[in-house]
Amino acid sequence: MSADGAGVSARRVGGHERVTGQQEYLADIRQPHALHVKLVALDVARARILNIDTTEAEQVPGVSLVMTAADLPQPVPRFGPQFQDRPVLAVGETKYHGEPVAAVAAETKDAAEAAARLVVVEHEVLPAVFSVAEALDPGSPLVQEPGLRPDDPLAGTNILREHHFGWGDVDTSAADLVVENTYTFPIVTHFAIEPHGFMAAPDGDGIVIWSAIQHPYLLQKMMAKLLGMPLASVRVLAPDPGGAFGGKQNAKLEPLVAFIALRTGRPVRLILTLEETFQAVRRASAEITVRTGFVEDGTLAFQDIEANFLIGAYADIADRVVSKSSYLGCGPYRTPAARILARAILSHTTPSTAFRGFGIPQLTWARESNLDEGAHVLGIDRLEIRLRNLVADGEAFIPGDTAADGDWAQSVRKAAELIKWDSPVPAGRGRGLAIGLKSGPTAGLSYSTVRLLADGSGVVYSGTSDMGQGARTIFAQIVSQELGVPLDRISVVMGDTAVVPYDQQTSASRSSVFMGTAVLRACQEIQAQLCEMASRLHGIDASEIVVENGVVRLPDGEAAIVEVLQQGLAPLGGELVGNGEMRKQGDPDHPLGGSAAFFEFNCTATEVEVDQETGETLLHRYVTVGDVGRAMNPIQVAGQDEGAAIMGLGHTLMEHIILDESGRIQNLGAIDYRIPTSNDLPLELVSASVENGDGPGPYGIKGIAEGALLPTAPAVAGAVREATGAFIRDLPLTPERIWQALQERP
Amino acid sequence: MIPAGALAMTFTVNGTVRTLEVATHHTLLDVLRDQLDLTGTKECCAEGECGACTVLVDGRSVNSCLMLAVEADGSEIATVEGLASDGELGPLQQAFLDKGAAQCGFCIPGQLMSAQALLARNPLPTVDEVHDGLVGNLCRCAGYQQITEAVLAAAESVNR
Amino acid sequence: MSPFQYARPDTVAEAQTLLAEFGSEASLLAGGTDLLVDLRGRRVQPRVVVDLKRVAELTSGIEEADGALRISATSVMTDLTEDERVRHYYPALVEAAAVVGSIQIRNRATLAGNVCNASPAADTVPALLVYGAEVTLTSLSATRRLPLDDFLVGPGETVLEAGEMVTAINLPIPSRPAGATFARVTRRRGVDLATISLSCLVDSDGTTTFAYGAVAPRPFLVRDHSGVLADRGADERDREAALREMTSYASPITDIRASAEYRQAMLDVMSRRALDKAIDRLAAA
Repeated sequence: MSADGAGVSARRVGGHERVTGQQEYLADIRQPHALHVKLVALDVARARILNIDTTEAEQVPGVSLVMTAADLPQPVPRFGPQFQDRPVLAVGETKYHGEPVAAVAAETKDAAEAAARLVVVEHEVLPAVFSVAEALDPGSPLVQEPGLRPDDPLAGTNILREHHFGWGDVDTSAADLVVENTYTFPIVTHFAIEPHGFMAAPDGDGIVIWSAIQHPYLLQKMMAKLLGMPLASVRVLAPDPGGAFGGKQNAKLEPLVAFIALRTGRPVRLILTLEETFQAVRRASAEITVRTGFVEDGTLAFQDIEANFLIGAYADIADRVVSKSSYLGCGPYRTPAARILARAILSHTTPSTAFRGFGIPQLTWARESNLDEGAHVLGIDRLEIRLRNLVADGEAFIPGDTAADGDWAQSVRKAAELIKWDSPVPAGRGRGLAIGLKSGPTAGLSYSTVRLLADGSGVVYSGTSDMGQGARTIFAQIVSQELGVPLDRISVVMGDTAVVPYDQQTSASRSSVFMGTAVLRACQEIQAQLCEMASRLHGIDASEIVVENGVVRLPDGEAAIVEVLQQGLAPLGGELVGNGEMRKQGDPDHPLGGSAAFFEFNCTATEVEVDQETGETLLHRYVTVGDVGRAMNPIQVAGQDEGAAIMGLGHTLMEHIILDESGRIQNLGAIDYRIPTSNDLPLELVSASVENGDGPGPYGIKGIAEGALLPTAPAVAGAVREATGAFIRDLPLTPERIWQALQERP
Repeated sequence: MIPAGALAMTFTVNGTVRTLEVATHHTLLDVLRDQLDLTGTKECCAEGECGACTVLVDGRSVNSCLMLAVEADGSEIATVEGLASDGELGPLQQAFLDKGAAQCGFCIPGQLMSAQALLARNPLPTVDEVHDGLVGNLCRCAGYQQITEAVLAAAESVNR
Repeated sequence: MSPFQYARPDTVAEAQTLLAEFGSEASLLAGGTDLLVDLRGRRVQPRVVVDLKRVAELTSGIEEADGALRISATSVMTDLTEDERVRHYYPALVEAAAVVGSIQIRNRATLAGNVCNASPAADTVPALLVYGAEVTLTSLSATRRLPLDDFLVGPGETVLEAGEMVTAINLPIPSRPAGATFARVTRRRGVDLATISLSCLVDSDGTTTFAYGAVAPRPFLVRDHSGVLADRGADERDREAALREMTSYASPITDIRASAEYRQAMLDVMSRRALDKAIDRLAAA
């Protein structure tokens, strides 16, 4: 059993580089002959572009090119993971505050910036649409040209897609109590500490693209199509992101830098400011109306949900966010009848994209809060009502879909215990408890190659993006566990589509399960080869030899893998190579294209005190418990869960992008967009994992790292309500909002 | 009077004296990263809110994005690249590794430099003092707990 | 930022010669924590940046002279919070200085800069006002000294004339005991700009002084001479009326940080709390 194997809090692979400043993030990569790119955007939300005058800009010394939509292939190429609607540069109209209208490429950053300021964009400000009511109003302007969706009956509206899920008959369901409320979730932005950056360089007849992208192969595929090149001519180099959280999953400005690189014949480099990054990525905001029908004993009769998401000006992956999250809107509860209507609605705002939780935080906020209110009216304890409705391990809760894959009640009870739910609440305080459920991927494909080198050291190739969740370490630990190689003798190669075999994507907390399984299978191929070797060397039948956990077990004893390896490779030397694959086929008949590979389940409980004169909250205790299957690396799991919890506190207590009446962002930048600091922590933050080894990944792993973010808001709001009596249905729960609610209390 | 353009300056960076020409309007952060190739110090908000660019100037932690490079003339600068000596990690770096404090790692150089300055002023800080001392270093990955534990562990190991 | 010239004068006279030559096209640089943000945002585009940090007369630090504590213009917030005399005589100022940004900001931001930047929400100003701070202004022709209350005009505006610069902030050393506090309301506990800020000083002669920030075009002073606020034994209705009168002089606005309504309400709440605390501190003094 390796000291660095499964379940060990092994030292983070890549940790040394991170604490010495040697880790190369995208902006650190030296590209000595690169042109520097600066974007030109308008300081308004929506405007018709009348004319772009680049003459003055072109005359700035050092400027190589000022590109506008007119300089691109016509019609201007469009891209997007779900719908190819986003143009490489704004065409005719800017559809959100910050949409790039032009780009300058120059020898120095200073020249590019100076020239960008000299580009004159004659424009006419147009009314922008950025609320659900406005967007659905037939009299409002359309965000997207109907011609982009020729066969779509919704093309003349701002509704990109409408989804209907459900079972049973809500309208004839008998309920003793019906609680109906509308909840809102604000626009928030990822605010990874690394702003976005992109580079591209022509490479013979092909191109190299650098991007801290979570999905290098999807980017490769998209760029190959956009540029009309074979896949083999498009190389994507993806350095570890300095935080991503979903905001770096899909292409944003890679197409633009690629076109500039091909036009100029030079490498080009574009690093966004933090403000430009805020304008580039965000979470979909939502207005969710929940009607929950209860039987007198607190069991659910039905859930009737209408979820309207404002997704922004281009689809990106937002419609998937809407459908995948809404599908699970009823949560892990026994729901006899359900009706879910979910809309992805276009708006003149930053295109929303994937963001940790993928729509589930929004649904959870609404559903759990409504559950709390039902419990309040019925006089039932909020822990009790959840346990009463929670499905058991193996129980189906969405007809025809994956059943509950864990003993979820265990996590709930553990959270309740850690918050001391049954003890009297201290005076002036309140407690809250909420549950979050998210599905893992519904389909997917990962390949991995592992090489066991002649001296017993190893190389793992994995197309996953390590954005801080510790993917490198997990895969190295698997190799360590299976082949007995110490962690410091394992090299993990990622982020190069020319060298590393295919991985679909890094998202949906899939990597430990999908890529982990691929790595495991690659190791197993090597184990099979070692078995053959040992059989040959010892003259024993292979069926009598077992290779596992780093050792070769012979009928009469054990040998270290490296021993067998070195004898077996002699006299020519060489190495052993193993390939592994993990594939989950989709299901075209399934509303989401496939059933969930696994679920992420979390129960969060908090105890808060509210200063009722100022509305300020103090979190005395915050508990988060996740059903993880197996904690492959406990310290990394804790780090991810705690980080997710704090990120959840961000949208719960302080984060929101504020738009003015014209749709322009008012709080761009770190001064007025507030995220939690080290002084904003709960007085006590406890994270715990339930490990029953019941996950589909190696050693019983399930995916993690999104769960702890899902139920933060309703857990805190529930506590605030108990402490003050005020039901608040809009986030964030800023001191002013809480104070306002207290003023309005009857 | 120095004309708009280049100015010659001399300063010490991680113990090495450097003389170079800098543009008057470039920040210390710009010069460290772009001219001295010391890319360990990071750029994020560029307005003194996030702390990713934290370095030590004459022993005090500052946001290098809020200093013109020319202001550092004659000063001693310490960056993350100087924390290890002869390949040996410093106690803070070691503690950050042991406690799993680095996740994506982008904020870590700034955290390390702020922690370095904190422990120099206050060798055995309380949890609250660590929180206060590092409040100007934003982290989006961690809950700050492991970073705090690392700083406390480093303090303890140095003072043992 | 656009390129500019950079000057690093050694004396006040040299600095002022530059100011006289360049006028409004010169920007003074001390800590840089406001100026560099403005330069980056192109809210100011000077031809020359004049770095004051090597000016001899400005680096004297914190000195006691003629019954006052003289804080030279390049003294930074960290110097203030760590100075024994400041901590002893002006605890409310220390409380205010300690929340100006993070330690990285406080190691650079100067007290004079915070005052001259004249933000309505400048953290140190309410405390400076209740302690009766005075500002020393120097030009090539003359030096004058005036109360801080007369120095501030409006958002970003002071009485500084062309060619004038602040060389010191002076705080009279208190001759009798007082209790003073600083408080503010913010959107998060971590580093933040003030939604409202205030300082309260209760003098042993029964006078209560408040200074309010972020609720008017500039921080301002109000005073209760009646003595009711300082006296816990006085009639509660009289005290409440007096307090309401104090806060009625505020004219808070609604902006992205807070609404006018919330700001006014917090003024009332925090004034009451600050008063209580100031009375306690006076009693302990």
